[in-house]
Amino acid sequence: MTLVLRDAAVNLRGMPLTRPLIRPFSVSVQPGEILTIMGPSGSGKSALLSWIGGDLPGAMQGAGEVLLNGVNVIGVPPERRRIGRLFQDDYLFPHMTVGENLLFAIPAARREVRLEMMQQALADAGLDGYADRAPQTLSGGQRARVALMRTLLSGPAAVLLDEPFSRLDQDLRSTIRSFTSDHIRDRQVPAILVTHDRADVPPGGRVLAISAQGDMHHV
Amino acid sequence: MRTLATLPLAVVLLLPLLASLLFIMPGVADLDSFRALAEHPQFWGALALSLATGLTSTAVSLVLALVMIFAARGKNLSSRAGLFLAVPHVSFAIGLAFLIMPAGLLARAVALAAGWTMPPQWVTTQDPWGLALTVALVLKETPFLVWTFANLLAREDLAAGFAGQRAVARSLGHGEASTFLRVIVPQLLPQALGPLIAVLAYGMTVVDMALVIGPTQPPTLAQLAWTGLSDAESATAARGAAGVLVLCAVVAAILAAASVVLKCSRPHLHRFYAASPRPGEGLGGAAQLLWPALLAVYVAVAAVMLLQSAAAQWPFPDLLPNVSTLRAWTHLLSDPRPVMTSVVLALSTTACAIAATVIWLELAPRAMDRVMTMCALTAVTVPMLLIALGEYRAFLALDLTGTAVALWTAHAVPVCAYVFLLLARPYRAYGTQWAAVAAGLQQGRARFLWRVKWPMLKGPMWAAAAVGFAVSVGQYVPAQLAAAGRFSTLPMEAVTLSSGGNRPLLAVYGIALMALPLGAFLFAARAGRSRWSTP
Amino acid sequence: MLNRRQFIGTSVAGLFLPRAGQAFAADWSGTEAEAKGQTVYFNAWAGSEPINAYIGWAAGEMKSRYGITVEHVKITDTAEVVKRVRDEVAAGKRDGSVDLVWINGENFSLMKKEKLLFGPFSETLPNYRYVDVDGKPTTRQDFAESVDGLESPWGMAQLTFFADGAKVADPPRDMKALLAFAKANPGRVTYPAPPDFHGTTFLKQVMLEQAVDRNALYRDPVDAQVPPESFSFLDALHPHCWRAGKQFPKSQAEITQMVADGELLVGLTFNPNEPANLVAAGTLPATTVAWQHEKGTIGNTHFVAIPVNARARAGAEVFANFLLSPQAQARKNDIKVWGDPTVLAVEKLSAEDQAAFASAAAPGSVSLPGPALLEPRASWVPLIEKAWLSRYGNG
Repeated sequence: MTLVLRDAAVNLRGMPLTRPLIRPFSVSVQPGEILTIMGPSGSGKSALLSWIGGDLPGAMQGAGEVLLNGVNVIGVPPERRRIGRLFQDDYLFPHMTVGENLLFAIPAARREVRLEMMQQALADAGLDGYADRAPQTLSGGQRARVALMRTLLSGPAAVLLDEPFSRLDQDLRSTIRSFTSDHIRDRQVPAILVTHDRADVPPGGRVLAISAQGDMHHV
Repeated sequence: MRTLATLPLAVVLLLPLLASLLFIMPGVADLDSFRALAEHPQFWGALALSLATGLTSTAVSLVLALVMIFAARGKNLSSRAGLFLAVPHVSFAIGLAFLIMPAGLLARAVALAAGWTMPPQWVTTQDPWGLALTVALVLKETPFLVWTFANLLAREDLAAGFAGQRAVARSLGHGEASTFLRVIVPQLLPQALGPLIAVLAYGMTVVDMALVIGPTQPPTLAQLAWTGLSDAESATAARGAAGVLVLCAVVAAILAAASVVLKCSRPHLHRFYAASPRPGEGLGGAAQLLWPALLAVYVAVAAVMLLQSAAAQWPFPDLLPNVSTLRAWTHLLSDPRPVMTSVVLALSTTACAIAATVIWLELAPRAMDRVMTMCALTAVTVPMLLIALGEYRAFLALDLTGTAVALWTAHAVPVCAYVFLLLARPYRAYGTQWAAVAAGLQQGRARFLWRVKWPMLKGPMWAAAAVGFAVSVGQYVPAQLAAAGRFSTLPMEAVTLSSGGNRPLLAVYGIALMALPLGAFLFAARAGRSRWSTP
Repeated sequence: MLNRRQFIGTSVAGLFLPRAGQAFAADWSGTEAEAKGQTVYFNAWAGSEPINAYIGWAAGEMKSRYGITVEHVKITDTAEVVKRVRDEVAAGKRDGSVDLVWINGENFSLMKKEKLLFGPFSETLPNYRYVDVDGKPTTRQDFAESVDGLESPWGMAQLTFFADGAKVADPPRDMKALLAFAKANPGRVTYPAPPDFHGTTFLKQVMLEQAVDRNALYRDPVDAQVPPESFSFLDALHPHCWRAGKQFPKSQAEITQMVADGELLVGLTFNPNEPANLVAAGTLPATTVAWQHEKGTIGNTHFVAIPVNARARAGAEVFANFLLSPQAQARKNDIKVWGDPTVLAVEKLSAEDQAAFASAAAPGSVSLPGPALLEPRASWVPLIEKAWLSRYGNG
């Protein structure tokens, strides 16, 4: 499974194409790799992820291709792209239990199978016995882990991480970072992480930076 | 200080309401009136009809409103739905009747094609099953629910969360419909509980619409009660009051039953939420047509009312009146006092309601919200007729009937109730972080309220004000009872004239009753618009 | 007369009559002087634009002639006023909110029974001498209830039917003919659902015409039974009525509109001049005809009365007297103004005044009049209404 961006660009609708937020660039992300894109606030890095994920707000537009295993997914509705998303907020659904949040993501199968997958994911996250808890009763770190497990349970072909650690306490961040990268590597999913915190970059990972002119270059 | 802050709202809402309930009790507490009611030949039929029209209209409105919200795909419908809201129920029923009755515009169009010379014997209004009434209620309540949901979805404190959850759900493989049903609706409905209860209570207790478009054999229970209440004979009036109490009890029983059903179906509901991703679209293009269709009905209603307002003679099957007159318009414009009285009343009660509610929400202990919410819900759900009757008796005891004080207070009660219900949640949900930020910037409380909090909450505040204004303009009973008819308001004129059945006058006053709230809603939509939203 | 007035004044309304002595002095100029500057709240049904305009005119006259301000308190149903006065009296409110009320029939009989009316006053009003008490016995007998001077006659009413003459060549002039007409024109005849006032009147008309013993209807009912012949007629009529008699319109006004639309063929009204009035207003076509049943239809009188706790009692009396004046009655009688028939004996008036009443027959005027029948005793009303509801109340 590889994620390829070809001539990807993002700009504000109505602005001349000569002044895009992100100028056309191409990159290929390998299975299990986490590519980091860094840039200051407002540089368009979140917009880039929205474009890849398929829900770019109407005020912006993207150009180029997003290839998943060689197939362009631009024009495909987000729910059919198989691209998992994580945000600053964990967005656990408050009206569902922790277990239901996970089940919500598990593709159709026999109920027992789905329940077992859910229990396994909880065990993997060190949250055995939390299935019936309300998400509101969990700590920030626990919630972040549930959110990641939920994304991975949906069997994504790629994962987009939009500053997922920035809301966490300092002492939690490193554990969640490694928890996240471990699981992504284990499942051999290509991932793109956007952040403005150097410390978020996984050890040895590739980093792209957005310049003030919107050029993407390797760091 | 904190308890002192409860005073304004307590004085204009709680006190009159309690006094009203206190004074209404002795009149209906006797068993004889209930027995007389149960023995009334039309009682059981009327009860069944009320249940059918109330429940059906609520359920259908809810489903339609959700479908419309879904079909809008995140487009904010609140200002557009607000315009529908401005149309008073009774005006709408009159216009709809002009449209669908056997001599109405639709029948005339058919007659021209079919060559009829007499109106057909259609059962389009006053049908024995109350279908026309149900349709009228649905057409009127659906925009209200759309407006409620749209405002909830647009609330600054909720919108971001919903948008993120929606993005997550779709990235997990859930289609738009599945996301809406499993993620958005379950969080939306509990927030809209108050408005939903109001819709049900309204559907069960509505009198004016039923009088225009509902059946007579039997009538709805609300109509039966109203006929009783308006009787000069004390015993008959007591029977009518018993009917209103029975209606209230039925509404309460339905709510209790609904909560039991919800509790029992919880496991099923949660299984439904936690179902596997479904990427399907769910709804086809028909859903997109609902909104334009609703709009078309309202435009047609407004158009036929405009035609009627100027029609001196309009024989069947002509599509246009053959003699037109501006007499009805001259009548309205020749005496501006009723309009002025209504506007002054509406502006002053609304301003007072907003101020009292904000003082309460800003300063009063949060624990007391429950009491006020219950009180406001009571004021909204108990039929206005009963509350007004209680108020009238209270004013009588204070020797205040027929005074401006009585008139004002009786208008202020429902206005305060609606304003509080609409404003309390968004106001309470306002994040505490903003106050902290402002405090951090060395800003005083007053400056924080003026410069930060109220500007951020101006959407819900203006919306509440517009509804308050519309509620005040629509009040008929208080002017008649508490003020002994001594102050002529616009609905007073409209209702008294309508008893003579003069259609141009009916149409003109219907339009006038529509125009005032419409102006308020347009203004509020403009004033309350977020600075950053695209026009 | 004076004794009796004093008696009632002190015994019934004593509490509310601090100046009873002056009131019964029958010193009319004193009353006029007292009335000057008063505001009279006249509570009157306001469903008709011409009627409201007439009351507006009368208010203007009161201001300029007597310095009395008349405020028309607009109401939809006189029962509201009955209840308000009852509540106020029960609450001990002396300066009541109602000074004068437009009333008759059941509402009057209730107020009289509950001693909520001031009086007697009407028969000592200066203009009462013109009232046609002999020719129009209903001016003293309101729905078989003796008036006893507690209300002042204002106008005459008689159940009248109307139709578009272009569609109805031969108007049905009794209930039997109406049944035949309904059979020939299914779905085009109906009447308002009781307890609407006109609906109840239609039922009473049926009872009077069908009664084996009509006199029984002028006594209190003995065994709480409605004469069965009335229902056998309605049973026969209903299947041919609008909506097959399973639904009924809610009011007379609704029926009038349906006649104007052509949905119904026959309308009914209590004001014999209403059809002509509506022709003048353009609502009904000029070919409209109005008629009464050959052997008579129910007729009555409507009145104005002063509640026992009225604040501006003198003003109310002066206003009631003005409403009885030949000038006010003539104007009211004019079809272009209101068209409400006068209670006066026109022949008792001066030639000049008589001339004011003379008006050419307008299109829509009653062309086939019938005698006025007295209302059956009011105690029949609840009985008929209940029986009707039991029989037809559920479709």
